[in-house]
Amino acid sequence: MENDLQAIVSQAEASQANISNRSDWDQAKALILGPKGSLTQASKLIGKLPREEKPAFGQALNQAKKQVEALFATSLSRIEEQADLIALGNPYDPTLPAVPNRSASLHPLSATRRKVVAIFRKLGFTVTEATEAETEWFCFDALNTPEDHPARDEQDTLFFSPESKWANVSKKAKEAHLLRTHTSSVQIRTMLREKPPLRVIAPGRCFRRDTVDATHSANFHQLEGLCVDRGVTLLDLKGVLDHFLKEMFGTKVQTRLRPSFFPFTEPSFEVDLKAPNLGKLSDKWIEIMGCGLVDPEVLKLVNLDPEEWSGFAFGVGIERITMILHGIDDIRHFYQNDQRFLSQFSGSV
Amino acid sequence: MKISLEWLKEYVELPTDAGELVDVLPMLGLEVEESEGETPESLDKVVVGEVLNKEPHPEADRLSVCQVNVGTDEPANIVCGATNFQVGDRVPVALPGAKLPGGFKIKKSKLRGVPSEGMMCSAKELKLGDDDAGLMILSDSPVIGTPIEDTISADQVLELEITANRGDCLSHLGVAREISARYQKELKVPSLEAAADAVEQADENCLVNDIQLEDEACPYYTLWTIRGVKIGPSPDWIQKRLLAVGLRPINNVVDVTNYVLLETGQPLHAFDAKKIKGSSIIVRRARENESITTLDEVERKLQNDMLVIADAERPLVVAGVMGSIDAEVDDSTTELVLESAWFRPGSVRSTARRLGLHSDSSQRFSRDVDPAGVIYAARRAIDLILNTAGGELAPSYVSSGSPPRGERTISIEHTFVEKTCGFSVSGEDLSDAWKRLGFSVSGNGPWDVTVPSFRSEVERPIDLVEEYLRLRGTDDLTDSRIVFPALERENDLSYDFSQDAVDHLLGQGYQECCHYSLRSAGEVESWFTHLSTDELALANPLTADHTHVRPSLLPGLVDALAHNQKNLNDLTRVCETGRVFRPGPRGNVEWISVAFAAFARSNERGWKEEPALDFFALKNQVNSLLRSTGLSLPKGLWATISEDASWQDGYSARLGDAHKNKLEINLGIIRLSLSKAKEAKGPVFAAELLIDPVLLSKRKKPAGFVPFSTFPPAIKDLALVVDSKEPAETVRIRVEEIAQGVGKEKFAVDPVAIFDLFEGKGLPEGKKSLALTLRFRAPDRTLGEKELNQAFEEVIAGIRSETSYELRS
Repeated sequence: MENDLQAIVSQAEASQANISNRSDWDQAKALILGPKGSLTQASKLIGKLPREEKPAFGQALNQAKKQVEALFATSLSRIEEQADLIALGNPYDPTLPAVPNRSASLHPLSATRRKVVAIFRKLGFTVTEATEAETEWFCFDALNTPEDHPARDEQDTLFFSPESKWANVSKKAKEAHLLRTHTSSVQIRTMLREKPPLRVIAPGRCFRRDTVDATHSANFHQLEGLCVDRGVTLLDLKGVLDHFLKEMFGTKVQTRLRPSFFPFTEPSFEVDLKAPNLGKLSDKWIEIMGCGLVDPEVLKLVNLDPEEWSGFAFGVGIERITMILHGIDDIRHFYQNDQRFLSQFSGSV
Repeated sequence: MKISLEWLKEYVELPTDAGELVDVLPMLGLEVEESEGETPESLDKVVVGEVLNKEPHPEADRLSVCQVNVGTDEPANIVCGATNFQVGDRVPVALPGAKLPGGFKIKKSKLRGVPSEGMMCSAKELKLGDDDAGLMILSDSPVIGTPIEDTISADQVLELEITANRGDCLSHLGVAREISARYQKELKVPSLEAAADAVEQADENCLVNDIQLEDEACPYYTLWTIRGVKIGPSPDWIQKRLLAVGLRPINNVVDVTNYVLLETGQPLHAFDAKKIKGSSIIVRRARENESITTLDEVERKLQNDMLVIADAERPLVVAGVMGSIDAEVDDSTTELVLESAWFRPGSVRSTARRLGLHSDSSQRFSRDVDPAGVIYAARRAIDLILNTAGGELAPSYVSSGSPPRGERTISIEHTFVEKTCGFSVSGEDLSDAWKRLGFSVSGNGPWDVTVPSFRSEVERPIDLVEEYLRLRGTDDLTDSRIVFPALERENDLSYDFSQDAVDHLLGQGYQECCHYSLRSAGEVESWFTHLSTDELALANPLTADHTHVRPSLLPGLVDALAHNQKNLNDLTRVCETGRVFRPGPRGNVEWISVAFAAFARSNERGWKEEPALDFFALKNQVNSLLRSTGLSLPKGLWATISEDASWQDGYSARLGDAHKNKLEINLGIIRLSLSKAKEAKGPVFAAELLIDPVLLSKRKKPAGFVPFSTFPPAIKDLALVVDSKEPAETVRIRVEEIAQGVGKEKFAVDPVAIFDLFEGKGLPEGKKSLALTLRFRAPDRTLGEKELNQAFEEVIAGIRSETSYELRS
């Protein structure tokens, strides 16, 4: 009898090799473990055995059943694995291109702006914003720019018609609306809205009435900085700008403040830098930004007492920094959005 | 402004290497635009020679044969065609091997049989001047044999860019004053000789009878009389200086007025007295329809607020800008009146701008000339006129009005300076710096500093700090430590939002772009016919393609797609954030916009099919953009867009209204005719968010946690037959509401989901079938079969009683 069981197990073992799919498996399993299967049939014989032989046969039967079940469990997982693999299809050629084969990147001006903002954020400057449509008062008067200043000419500044109405660009009085010529107007809106101490940066789009060419653009981007607190000094300004320019252009950069003039700062300076790693512009003094201490008149115009508060302000062109950093020679590239241009700068700032 | 260093030397001693001014002046605030070297082309082998002997050429009347000492043992034998020289003159000699500007090479040669070993040169041949009438005779006996470059390249011209506040530096004396302060060298102001007495009304000495100042734009006017001048060319030294800074010499009187303008910064005007009608001078506003033909021979219409200098009949000068040909000094002039006056900067600037006429004179008056210099400049010019054109100064001159401002005294404390600078400053250094600039200083901290009238912009203590810093320099202020207290302020939300939006779209494969905010009328009018686009027009556009501010980012993005498609670049997904402008019920509004646009498929053929982008994929991108940036969808249903020129009817949808809800989303296919007009091939799928910045002005509160059931849901599906036109979302919401009503207080209902849509065979015309799945969850147990079936029955009963939807069996 036990030899019969051995034969059944052997039969089961032998059948495994022929199982290549689920129905083979079901069939083979039924032949042994099904209601009419050989093992099921064999197990029925136990009733006919003498009492003393029953335990031994029962043990042998269990043993055989376990062996057979293990065999079928193994073959089941084998064919399932095969089926899963078949479902996966052919193995990959990893050298075929990605589908879709598409890469997107930040616009280089955004990348520069983010880098500049990140540097100033470490110094506790946070971003403030205002509208691109502005009024003469916020763009000029509040920045201590006299009525007959050349920058206010219709030749240089884009105006809206005097009748134009703006729902979300507030006016001081009856002045005209225009497109802001610098982000300095954001200083004014921020100082009127929030109390010092203030350390803010205002990245944004500006407009000049310029013919578009390699170095001029009808719109461009600036980043304005403003710090107003008690006891702000020229030394603070120089320290902040040195830090910024070193982070931006490398620690080998040299900087200098060159006296200049802006109506809203006094004293006013242009900042020049010299660095060894700027291609054609290497090791030359190049103008990079404007800065100065906030003119007491400007503080008065936003209702701050210049005896108590002082500050510094600076402005830098995002296009200019980007062009210097990457050696780009034509500002129009930024606005043409050719993929061959845009794809060059990802991850490089 | 051009500054000649040779000229500048007259007023201040320059550093040994004058070239260092190119570096020094900018650090004083006078930017050097470019430096014009006098000898741009090499003059190698051109040396100083002395003519030892001069004899007629045996074969040619017009030539002479000269022996010229060029510093070698033997004199050179040179044949020459010029006649303006004598034995003993020193002239430039180009030796064999020299290459003259223009490329002419000098060789040993024979001229009509006589050997010639070089060439004696004119100024023009060496490009050292315009004179080609004869040899360039060298004055001051330069050493024989020295390279010519060493002897005549002394003059260097600097192009300075003077900032708006430094009108005082628009002159050689003004620049000299800065150099004198910087190098602590004495400023040598030319002394004056001729003098006259001021009279308020014209007397018998004067050539005009009467001066009337009718307008406050001219508070101070003087007029001087010179009789018996002889007009002719001005002397070489004046001509040379004028030419060096780019002015054409005209005649001795006009040249002197130009010379003094460039020397002192005070514009002057000389009239031919005989041409003044009625012998009176009136300073007044132009009259209606008056016009003037200015010296540049252009007839100009004057507006009636423009200031003019007129005689009894007509305007003779646009005040401070330019004279007319009517009273011009010419060769026959003998009687001169000379104007030296002060005009208000704003008046001159505005007139010059409106006439489009910017002269040396208007440039200076616009920047506020020194009222105290009016008399000096007049007398300086008179000295030069008497010297160069002869004549006699009348013993009195008319002086009308008075200088509008003079010197001023500013009190300043030591602590103020140090508080501003952030470093310690010695009192001595301070007062020393101010004195060097020509200010007078009294006291010993605090100080009273008196600033002369030529520095109109130095008015306050802070201005004196700036002056000190200009002279002190700031190069030593390096690596200062930055110490700032922390501030609670955060970035404006609007900024972070735009950045997050771009990050999200980048992840979806959208390349960030950047387009002009200014668009053409043609584009704006065809894309936004539904808006009153006139409101977005600029009053003074510069070019026809930049006339309006953009109402949307989409036209730019379609440009980018079309441009890259045309150039066979594989860029088919683009995005942008920025400000857009729309007319609104209470005036124009400036909104924040995020937009993205794409072709359905890549421009490139791929080895493997990728799923085409469609409306619903785009809708998913919009939803996930909103989620990732923390915005909620506006309430309401997506509605098909119609009557919006930008979008294709029936293939695009809108949710929200930025005027009313502060957020609006447009989504779908750009109107085919518009994308086609931009030469984009294939439909452009696009989406835009329009956001009123107010929406992003406040940070949201942290969301509160809502507990959820941990038990498995019970699921029931149903299918409804509804009108084809019934929006699916309406059906879904109705069923959800009914289900929620049924579950009320007993169990929760998950959002009802649409899982199938069927139209066509087996359904009546005009009907569609929607299959919906409902999931119920109890908070505390698994729902039993009985409970579930009962709830489902109630939902069905609700649909039957409350809606017109039919249950599909």
